[in-house]
Amino acid sequence: MSHHLFLLSPSDTPLYSLTHFSAKPVQNPTSPLSSNLPNWSTSAFAGTLTALSGASSSGQQSGGHSRVGGGQDRHVIQMIANASLDVIEDLMKTQNAMYLKSVDKFNEWTVSAFITPGNMKFVLLHEGKNDDGIKSFFVDVWELYVKTMLNPFHTAHTPIRSSIFDTRVRASAKKHL
Amino acid sequence: MAYSQPHSRVSVLSNSSTASSVEHFSPAASTTRFSLPTTPGLPSRVRPNIYDRNLTKTRIPEVSGAAFTFLFSEMVQYTQKRVSGINDLERRLNTLGYRIGTRVLELMVWRAESQSKAPKREIRFLPALMSIHTQVWRAVFGKPADAIEKSVENADEYMIIDNDPLIERYISVPKDMSQLSCSSFTAGIVEAVLDGLGFPARVTAHNTPTAQAPSRTTILIKLEKSVLEREEVLK
Repeated sequence: MSHHLFLLSPSDTPLYSLTHFSAKPVQNPTSPLSSNLPNWSTSAFAGTLTALSGASSSGQQSGGHSRVGGGQDRHVIQMIANASLDVIEDLMKTQNAMYLKSVDKFNEWTVSAFITPGNMKFVLLHEGKNDDGIKSFFVDVWELYVKTMLNPFHTAHTPIRSSIFDTRVRASAKKHL
Repeated sequence: MAYSQPHSRVSVLSNSSTASSVEHFSPAASTTRFSLPTTPGLPSRVRPNIYDRNLTKTRIPEVSGAAFTFLFSEMVQYTQKRVSGINDLERRLNTLGYRIGTRVLELMVWRAESQSKAPKREIRFLPALMSIHTQVWRAVFGKPADAIEKSVENADEYMIIDNDPLIERYISVPKDMSQLSCSSFTAGIVEAVLDGLGFPARVTAHNTPTAQAPSRTTILIKLEKSVLEREEVLK
């Protein structure tokens, strides 16, 4: 089961993104195409391969499992996250909660979001239902973001490149997701 | 008592500087001049990384008023050398304040909401204005502002009034620049907070002295049309 996190600035530019593979539930079935190829080749062409395998599997097993390439399809993920922004922006005008759970759905993906008071948007794509875990994860990311924000050289539009930030977010993802 | 002996750190610094001044031209010596003195007597006081530090403060954080006043006076002077007029100066002070405001908002709300079960944002304008008047002012200046007023003529104008703005306490504006209000800096903070919460506005500062409060300052908020429209919808 994978999770995809995007941090978006108030003007919707992505500042940070993270793909997290949760150890907890179902093991990802590796796509049949990539298992035949050596490791180095799959890593280089991961996107193409999963796209291909997604296409082939839909032909072979009619609707058996609907997971698009095990969630590794980068461009589809980004598109879903982007598409959910419309819904998020509508909701955040009328709801005063920071954590907006399950705002959007697309195939197997559910989109949850967290809006900070400074209008940063955290968007998370996930497959299962895990409201409390996701909430704790978002609050952790918020704390880390506030700390990043306190850097005088950081603006609301600076991409976050700190390795410590990255490590901390990953650790929190491991704990809560 | 405390100053009877020269501070150990001072003596170390002077030692190292005399030692290096002897070998001033040797490149090896010049690198040691810039390295920190590593004597066993001094504990290495590396501040923990920001990610390792706690954001909640148990005691009220206080900043030296003199240090702040000095810093702010330098900021105003620096800015003034680079602008063509009062409007420009105020605009730049506003920009400087804006940078503070984005951080104040995020940190202040984090401290208030992060422990709650369902953290909330402010989505209505009037409560947001109230929280600026009390919480933001308390976070930045240590006391709430003195009043909030709503313009009678224009529905989109609101005012926050401070009878004795902290940042202007030691500033006397020259006669030929009487329009200048250094509280433009504060206006920038307010603008950032409003912007962050999704109420875009133009915020300016004006001197409105009275007999009792000679440095009384009005922070004028002129909301964008979209905010009023949204408020109508939410009603």
